[in-house]
Amino acid sequence: MPANSISAIEARRTGTRFVLFCIGAIIAILLVATAFLLFTLPDANAFNARVEQVFVENADLTGQAELRLLEILAQSGTAFADTLAGYRMVITVLLVFATAMLVAAVAALVMLVLLNRRMAQIEHSGIQVNSLILSREEKTVYLNNMAFKLTEAAIETLGVLAEARMDDEMLNGAEIEAMISGRNSADCDEASGATRIKRLRDALGNQLMTELLVKNIARKGYVLAIDKSVIKIV
Amino acid sequence: MKHVIAPLTALFLLAGTANAACYADYKAKRDAPLRLHYGVAEIEGDCTVANAESELADRIASEGWELLAVLSVFDESGLEDRRENAGEFYLRY
Repeated sequence: MPANSISAIEARRTGTRFVLFCIGAIIAILLVATAFLLFTLPDANAFNARVEQVFVENADLTGQAELRLLEILAQSGTAFADTLAGYRMVITVLLVFATAMLVAAVAALVMLVLLNRRMAQIEHSGIQVNSLILSREEKTVYLNNMAFKLTEAAIETLGVLAEARMDDEMLNGAEIEAMISGRNSADCDEASGATRIKRLRDALGNQLMTELLVKNIARKGYVLAIDKSVIKIV
Repeated sequence: MKHVIAPLTALFLLAGTANAACYADYKAKRDAPLRLHYGVAEIEGDCTVANAESELADRIASEGWELLAVLSVFDESGLEDRRENAGEFYLRY
């Protein structure tokens, strides 16, 4: 199970990188679109320049009233340019909203993919221990909030295993016996530790627990087959 | 006496042509907001469009106007026709 949890963490890491990349791409697209909007739309002077051109090109366009009319034309063009600036603003705001939606969509999509992978892993391993809470006072262990009442000796064994798991250590039978009895491990024999493990497994439902929780790794020792971050001892 | 008068008359006539008033009509603009005007102004140097352009550009620039084009140059005989169109810019600069 430790191997599984490592691959899950890796998946999460690549997922995060992918999400960051997507969000970066979306923001880059927004910036390009905004720059395009701001720099390519005609400005207020385009209309004035056209009016000026008409004024210069027509030599007989000299009457007072005609000039005033041309000025009014130019002003209405400028007013239109103001409207254009308003449109630009609205379009930019809409682009920002669209970006936010895209970012949310990408995040949701990636979460869905990660969740699917996790589901597949859970289906594969049969049971996933999401929390292991060891309560010495109540002599109870909570696995995924299911309470299992244990004997004092079994609680001690589980406590020793949990502490070892949190330190990423493995214990053989003699070491388990040494830690519980408080004697030197050289004075303890392997069989008494193995007996403690056997009793713990008996109390939790033997075969199933052997595979899922209290694992024996050949020539190394016993270990809790769960992610160490889910262990809590109270 | 006649010998004296003839050259004098000729002299006055020459002086007269040299001093004959020269006028130009032009178009100018001012930006933000766009303002346009058609005006008539007196030209002091050579009576040509090119000279009128260089003279007028400086003169009207002092009040923020930008010369767009000088349409033509003419003498007093052309003034009256243009007085109405030029309005407040008739001989202002």
